[in-house]
Amino acid sequence: MSEVPDLTSIFFYILVTGLPTTLILTVLALGFGFLLGMVLAIMRVYGERELAWIGSVYEKLLRGIPVLVLIFIFAYGIPEIFWYLDSLYRQVASIILALSLRSAAYQSQIFRGAILSVNTGQMVAARAVGMKKIQAFRHIILPQAIRLAVPGWTNEYSVVIKDTSFAYSFGVIELTKAAYRVSVNFPILWAPTMLIAAILYFAVTYPVTRIFGQKQNKKLKELGIGGR
Amino acid sequence: MRKQAAIIGMILCLGGGLAIGWFIPALFPAPPRVAVIDTIQSRGTFIVGTSADYPPFEDYYTNNDTYYGFDIDIADLIAAEMGVTVVWVDMDFDSLVGACTAGTIDMIAAAMTYNTDRAEKLAASNTYVTVAQAVIVKNSSSMTITALDNLTIPANQLVGVQSGTVMQSDLEALGMIAGVNFTTYPRADALMLALDGGAIEAAYVDEPIYEAFKTTYDIKIIFSTDPEPLALWTRYSEPELLYVMNKVIFEGYQDGTIQDLIIKWFG
Repeated sequence: MSEVPDLTSIFFYILVTGLPTTLILTVLALGFGFLLGMVLAIMRVYGERELAWIGSVYEKLLRGIPVLVLIFIFAYGIPEIFWYLDSLYRQVASIILALSLRSAAYQSQIFRGAILSVNTGQMVAARAVGMKKIQAFRHIILPQAIRLAVPGWTNEYSVVIKDTSFAYSFGVIELTKAAYRVSVNFPILWAPTMLIAAILYFAVTYPVTRIFGQKQNKKLKELGIGGR
Repeated sequence: MRKQAAIIGMILCLGGGLAIGWFIPALFPAPPRVAVIDTIQSRGTFIVGTSADYPPFEDYYTNNDTYYGFDIDIADLIAAEMGVTVVWVDMDFDSLVGACTAGTIDMIAAAMTYNTDRAEKLAASNTYVTVAQAVIVKNSSSMTITALDNLTIPANQLVGVQSGTVMQSDLEALGMIAGVNFTTYPRADALMLALDGGAIEAAYVDEPIYEAFKTTYDIKIIFSTDPEPLALWTRYSEPELLYVMNKVIFEGYQDGTIQDLIIKWFG
């Protein structure tokens, strides 16, 4: 074992080897979760009774299952669902799938709330000027709903980015695993290394919640469609 | 009303489709089996799972981003025999058996001792090295034991092991309960820190772990077991890969390669 590295080089090691993977996992999980969550929200708000019921059951079910259990189900329980992937990528795929499915449940709640908080009179008015329901949704409701959803959505981002650390035990070298590797090499640096990992997580979480969350709140208030 | 009927119809069709999809595969003959050794050779990479936190068997060196250790060299020998390179998947020790069963990794090389529990799930190679297990204490300790079940005496119960290892199974076979009669630690170095800090009185570990840490901490062996065999593991459905693994182990002993590696890593 060579000499103990200084904290700056540990910081850059974790930054370079760990952070990109963590961010990629987060973006993919949030992206797929956004698509599915949006569909579920629309199903719940505008769907017929049965569709709304499916959406609500999905959301209640997925909100009640720990994401680690979901990863175990996809990674070791039914790995055949990724038969088309090389076996090396199956675990990553199951992590992304589990995170997106879970995130979709929460995001559907965020978007459902946002769609409902746009005044119903606007839909009526849009229909009155001759828009079809889908046009009214696309051009009147959705733009406002997405803006309204941003503050809540940043909260979901901060949850997902921290949950990517579950990938650590599945052979994905993300931020936590990179920090863990440094600590295994130099047990004396266990505490400072994990502190660096904590700082990095904070550094990518806080600015987003700050800029998109609080600034958006202010802007919504200026626009007069919500915010605190 | 028509809309509702359409939606109910949709749901029924979905359910019906799922049900049919469940049964239809049984009507077709199973696709021809592709041996994993062919996949390895066409892909050019041999995916091996390990838990790289267990020097001198396997560790990951962050200074130059390389895996190193005894098991790493053994896996490289097997890959060289097949003419491919190793891709390491570094995961939790506890997760390795699941990952190998699920087909994510082709082989486990993680200083895994042979035992019947594991052999029910996965196929073991021939022994590639044997290690004894040892009970170690601090040099200043006055604790002595003459057999492993001495550890069950209440006065001796501050014992620590690494979780998921055969050492844990050994203690459980003596009727001890994890978290009650002994403490488990996820990693060897956490175990050593606990021993050094006085959280536990004794640690039950593989003997090479003692060799690796004896210069760092003031420790001694008070009891060691007979050497136990370590094996590499793969799935039972892959006899071709198992054959190559065993061939490399036997030939490594015949031409002295493995003996050289044992001297290199265990001194």
